Amino acid sequence: MAKRYIQRHSLQTRITHGLVMGSCVWLMISGLFVFVPYFANIGSGGLVQFMRISHRVVGVILIAAPIISAIMAPKGFKEFLGKYFKKWTPEDFEFMKKFVPYMLGPKRVHMPDQDEVKSGQRIADGMLIIGGIMMAVSGVVLWLGLSVFHAPAGVITVMRFVHDLFFLVLVVFVVAHAYLGAGVFQPYRKTKQLMFGNGQVAESDALYHWGFWAREELEKGDNVVER
Amino acid sequence: MAEGKAILYDASRCSACKGCQVACKCWNLLPSPMEKNTQAWNGSMQCPPDLDHRTRLIITFDEADNGKKYGINWAFGRRACMHCTDAACVMACPSGCLYHDEETGMVSFDRDKCIGCKYCVSACPFDVPRHIGGNGLFDAGAKINKCTGCIDRIKNGRSPACVTTCQPGALQFGDWEEMLAVAKERVEVLKAKGFESAQVYGEEQVGGTHVLHVLKYPLEQYELPENPQVSPLIGAMNWMKPILGVGAIALVGGLGLSFLTGVGYKRPEMRYDEANHDIINVETGEVVRHIDKEAGER
Repeated sequence: MAKRYIQRHSLQTRITHGLVMGSCVWLMISGLFVFVPYFANIGSGGLVQFMRISHRVVGVILIAAPIISAIMAPKGFKEFLGKYFKKWTPEDFEFMKKFVPYMLGPKRVHMPDQDEVKSGQRIADGMLIIGGIMMAVSGVVLWLGLSVFHAPAGVITVMRFVHDLFFLVLVVFVVAHAYLGAGVFQPYRKTKQLMFGNGQVAESDALYHWGFWAREELEKGDNVVER
Repeated sequence: MAEGKAILYDASRCSACKGCQVACKCWNLLPSPMEKNTQAWNGSMQCPPDLDHRTRLIITFDEADNGKKYGINWAFGRRACMHCTDAACVMACPSGCLYHDEETGMVSFDRDKCIGCKYCVSACPFDVPRHIGGNGLFDAGAKINKCTGCIDRIKNGRSPACVTTCQPGALQFGDWEEMLAVAKERVEVLKAKGFESAQVYGEEQVGGTHVLHVLKYPLEQYELPENPQVSPLIGAMNWMKPILGVGAIALVGGLGLSFLTGVGYKRPEMRYDEANHDIINVETGEVVRHIDKEAGER
């Protein structure tokens, strides 16, 4: 019997995610060369200068990729916002209440059905988006304010604080996102297929992770693929 | 209170000859632009108008009404690194490029260690650090430039270049406490002469600065901040590094524990019968759950 899959992410979404992920990783690595004194002293300065300049070039990719993607697919962007800014159901609250016990005991704690984006996912992804925006704004002010403009010292210091603070926030949420999204956490195995494969989720996994959404999609059938 | 050495600038003795500016440029190999009319006339004798990537020291000029029929209060000031005891630039520098010279207390730098981040620029309450090279959009290769206090000369028994060239004796160099005593004595003399606003600048500011000023006129006539402060955010940012380290260890520990509790996790394969709204175990064919649509279940 043919197995059924649901197309969850489009090629454009996966490419945008890939660009953001790649730039995010590079920005974290290159940022460490300025943030941590040990790294700042590696080599004779040339390596660190390269990292610092690459931080700016890659920063442009991080900012531009989602904006261009949103302009290319305005309908998709609107839908994306709708999935995140929506009223919480009782199941959403239950999911959050059970989240920590579930993470430390997935064999005994069972999660309730969820819509297309889980409540925890909405919080975590929301923090990634807010963090990304704060990093982008503070980064651009730091960049331009210390190169082509001579921004007031107070503004630069506040922006440095914002950049450092959200780096800290992002490290937590990026690592947690990767732990779940890449399927290191055992109940989430195969989820990496969603962004790094063909964007499809198997029927059984969809029913487990996003019960409400999976049943709705299977009933509609528009995004269901059999093979 | 500061210790070590100090440069004393007595504004009341300064003739604004700018010999100190020239001496600084000569000793530190920082030539001015030689092209004709490079410096646009801005109506002031202050030239260049501010510190720049190849000017570590300038004499400032300010004119104020003296309330009399003739003459003005023409204030000459000195603008360069103040060599603070609580140096915000040293606190902000991530690479250790900027440092306190232990013997003199001067704030100097190791250019090889500069990574061009310009955090010192944002930290300095006196807006002093400038950078040579890479001032464009990508500013690759930017390297700090500011007064070093001529510690290379001091360590060889000589005074800073600006001090040695000062003809009217407005610049002096010596032990910090000795220079402070000279400054205070001079302020008393100026006050006795009727300069009521005369004051010492640098004794209390940012832990005591290793450049002390005798100001003849009110502070507003000099390009010096009234209350220079090290932003508390700089200290907070330095705390973020250990916080990040501890946080990362805690996060990896927590996720490691989570991973271990999930090892061996398995779940049966399910499928959905959308006609009957049943969730069925694929292996056994058993209906494990019925979605009661009529009751409003989804």
